[in-house]
Amino acid sequence: MFAQRMSLQEREKVLGLVLVTPAVAIILSLILYPIIYNLYLSFFDVNPMAGNTYVGLENHRNVVTDPTFWKSVFTTIVYVFSTTIGTTLMGLLVALAMNRKFPFRGVVRSLVLFPYVAPVISVVFSWQFFFDPVNGIFMDLAYDKLGLFSSRFNLIGSPSTAVWVAIAFSIWKNFPFSYLMILARLQAIDETLYEAAEIDGASGWHKFRFITFPEVYFVMGAIILLRVIWNFNKFEEVFLLTENVRVLSVYTYYKAFVGTMELGQGASLAVIQFILLIVFILFYVKRVLKW
Amino acid sequence: MVKKTSFLRKALFFLLVLSIVLFSIFPFIQMISISLKYPAEWGDPSLIPKNINLEAYKELLNIGQETKNVPESVLTLLEETPDLSEEQREAILSKYRSTGDVFPFLRYFLNSFLLSFFAALVTVIFAIFGAYSFSRLRFPGRSVVQRGVLFVYMFGGILLLIPLYRMFVSFGWISIPQGAFVSLMIIYIVQTLPVSLYMLGNYFRTIPFSIEEAALIEGASRFGTIWRIIIPLSSAAIGTVFIYCFMIAWNEYLFASVFLKNYTELYTLPMGLKALFTSKNAIWDRIMAASVLTATPVILLFMSIQKNLAGGLTEGGVKE
Amino acid sequence: MKKWFSSVVLFIFALSLVWAGGQSEAPGESEETVSQEVTIEFWTTQTQSDRMATIQVLVDTFEALNPNINVKLVAVDENDMATQINTAAASNTLPAIIESDTESIVAFGAEGLLNSEAISGLIESIGPEKFYRGALSLNESAEKGVYYGVPYHGWVQGIWYRADWFEEAGLEPPSTWENILKAAEYFYRPEINQYGILVGTKAEAYTEQCFTQIAMANGAQLFDAQGNLIFDTPEMREAVEYYAELAKYTPPGPQTWRARDYYLQGKMAMFFYSTYIMDDLALESDAQDSLTNSNFADLEGKSFDPELVENTRVATTISKTQEAGYGTILSFGIPAHGDELKTAAAVKFLSYLFTPNAYVTWLHMAPGGMNPVLKEMAVNPRFQNDPKGIFQHYGKEKMAEIIQGLNSIETFSIVEGKRMAAASTIYSKQIIPQMIYRITQEGMEVDAAMDWAEMEMRKLME
Repeated sequence: MFAQRMSLQEREKVLGLVLVTPAVAIILSLILYPIIYNLYLSFFDVNPMAGNTYVGLENHRNVVTDPTFWKSVFTTIVYVFSTTIGTTLMGLLVALAMNRKFPFRGVVRSLVLFPYVAPVISVVFSWQFFFDPVNGIFMDLAYDKLGLFSSRFNLIGSPSTAVWVAIAFSIWKNFPFSYLMILARLQAIDETLYEAAEIDGASGWHKFRFITFPEVYFVMGAIILLRVIWNFNKFEEVFLLTENVRVLSVYTYYKAFVGTMELGQGASLAVIQFILLIVFILFYVKRVLKW
Repeated sequence: MVKKTSFLRKALFFLLVLSIVLFSIFPFIQMISISLKYPAEWGDPSLIPKNINLEAYKELLNIGQETKNVPESVLTLLEETPDLSEEQREAILSKYRSTGDVFPFLRYFLNSFLLSFFAALVTVIFAIFGAYSFSRLRFPGRSVVQRGVLFVYMFGGILLLIPLYRMFVSFGWISIPQGAFVSLMIIYIVQTLPVSLYMLGNYFRTIPFSIEEAALIEGASRFGTIWRIIIPLSSAAIGTVFIYCFMIAWNEYLFASVFLKNYTELYTLPMGLKALFTSKNAIWDRIMAASVLTATPVILLFMSIQKNLAGGLTEGGVKE
Repeated sequence: MKKWFSSVVLFIFALSLVWAGGQSEAPGESEETVSQEVTIEFWTTQTQSDRMATIQVLVDTFEALNPNINVKLVAVDENDMATQINTAAASNTLPAIIESDTESIVAFGAEGLLNSEAISGLIESIGPEKFYRGALSLNESAEKGVYYGVPYHGWVQGIWYRADWFEEAGLEPPSTWENILKAAEYFYRPEINQYGILVGTKAEAYTEQCFTQIAMANGAQLFDAQGNLIFDTPEMREAVEYYAELAKYTPPGPQTWRARDYYLQGKMAMFFYSTYIMDDLALESDAQDSLTNSNFADLEGKSFDPELVENTRVATTISKTQEAGYGTILSFGIPAHGDELKTAAAVKFLSYLFTPNAYVTWLHMAPGGMNPVLKEMAVNPRFQNDPKGIFQHYGKEKMAEIIQGLNSIETFSIVEGKRMAAASTIYSKQIIPQMIYRITQEGMEVDAAMDWAEMEMRKLME
């Protein structure tokens, strides 16, 4: 304290840098390098054996002029939008429910975490079986027992409907995360606020609107941001469940890895994807999170 | 907080909770049901097996399989290779008997556990310091770091695969098992670190600075306040972040399949399960039984952790 | 604090290193010995653990006979093979031997990833005349006598059907276009959850396999003998239309070989499948022995049929304007990694696998599914005496017919004895399955889908 007469501010500076360095260093070296490498590759026709030839913007042009690319962008938007909203609302609902006292609450709280905790690959087979057009329970209930449809169909397989199964799966799998984050926030709310509101005769809705909601606003904002970023690049949850939902990451996978690899185009896809996401994030961070 | 509520409201609430629970666990019920059914019953949509079939579990857990006889073709091969010594023959045979497990569950489990646990631990430690730094301290470039950390994360994971693989190959790490294992661990740390920093940073900012200030005035160091104030106050958030990191590593398939491909002994549970599924004879009872076995340990693990988590939360530990 | 922190990190890494090291067999063992010692990697698509164990016995025996060669067996899923090979090529970690379907081998070879010189030398030393000509020529490069891979075993595809249902309905066996369609239509009763036929409608290899046989029966080709793409022909169009028609009698949604379960449950009349099903059916009948029918007396429906194995027959050829058979040959390739020591070791190991004893051991991993490509092996008495009694069940003549089928496998890659490497690339990019998927699942018009496919093919050939 006495030996070094650094100002408080300066000491803060040094300490701040010291603390953040390990994290930043490891991220920079292992993520930034591949990103730059990808950016570099996106300007080349890549051939693992014969070497790369510079092709300028051709890869990017090929990607953007392909109608299947735009279809896949559309699918991705539907997927990300629905799953983000669904996961967050479901998380909020469950958090509100679990914040009340009821018998066996401990057990229920554990059960609700199951989907999040189980590995993706261990639950996809069960989902596939559930929607199997011939043997699955879903069709048995919806067609045989309830007669909702005029014939059996393949909800999880058909390209027009599979995206909805993928969305349902993602909501099911990820809502516990939102629930946990929101619940942690809810429990930090001072109960005297509610007591005071009750004395003032506030209704349940008013209590939610004016006490609960402002408290969870930023947590929810953060959860939504994370969910968008995660789901925008989500690969395994979609691919392992059903291969024909061509969100951008799956589309890239097929382009870059299936059969003969087109790594150059794959790289340019990744770059374009990155730009799309950044545009959204910049907007969101400024508007909603007010950073 | 709880006022006099009507019976109807109670019933509705009960229904809500019930449907939440059903929604959450139905796929697991389905999984267990099929794993216990005989093949002949797969076509029957009922959830309750008519006859309980434990064969799949027995086979996967290697119970009662030690009598597995060696195929004739293998025996003949060894007999009719005259240049083999008797010891060599025995060695090959005993190796055959000891391998060929359909699904060496315990080994896969330990691999997965060690990988995920240590990756998560390291991530959380780095993240606590990093997040504290940019939520509490002022230093040049702070906002760049704070935002940059997430930007970096927005790059699609699959395209990082090849550059990263090349990188670790050029270090010479992939050619030895320890190297491959550690490479994968580092990758998991990198993949989870940005989000951990972000989540903890957000949480730390909600802790009033006044508590810390008091400690600092009394002469505590910054590390001291992190250890004695920040960590206890945010134990729930740290726990959640740890769970998140652990899950990412536990679930990950794509990177593991490339990095650990050459080391069957190091397969993680998801890799083992996927390998089981892609083998042509894989049939539903075995797949579902393996799914149950893959999911169960981690579920049990978190149920025990969650008790502490919830306990800490409900006892008002977070209250100021 | 710092000290504590770093010691934790160190401890973590130390612990996991010990674990990782302990899990593998003596790492670094090979580094200490003489320079002639060599370790080679062998990638196989036989991912099932029981098969891996048997192949490991072959490896161990070989290693015992050749103490300075170590063979490391690695299982790679067939759908991952291209990804893994390309990743390995990009990072200079190519294995010494790969075992894969011939189309992939040729596609890798055409990309320059394989050492055709070493393989051709091996074929020369075994004697090209000992192979079934058809199996060998599938591996040939554009240059006569230069091969990308050496064939090892193969399966034949057929339509497997419920002979009892066909008899009851008075229908002919499904060996012509007409008979197949008629039966598919007849047995398609979705209201009672019963379906006519299984043809692939997912964008994957199984679909191409079903389609190829149907198209071949109509004389449709991808290339003419000069190597020109002739996709847009009346024959091809008819085949596509016919296939789309058949797909209507398949269980709903995109389907692949896994749907054979429906057949085993008595919910389907016919399905395309390889001779591997013999092995599966044999398993099924084993299971049946352990369960008496009374266990299932109260089971509703007809999901368990003890007579199923008896009532299953196969039609291995389909005809329309000509008779067509289809199958897949699995071959070995030696990647071009430039290490001569490894290449020599790889050749030595492959030669060992062709010795009769080792060969029978390999083939008996899946009798019916794995059939020899050497003529003398097909009549080897030990080979014919298979452990699962499949030769006995189907009869030696039927089996001989199936193995003979390997000789006359027709694919789009061979035209008048000439190898079309471009066809293998088209195969590995799965253009035809994607086209079929578009037609049957996305409702695209046949014309539009065929135009799309042709465009994609031309793009690949540039």
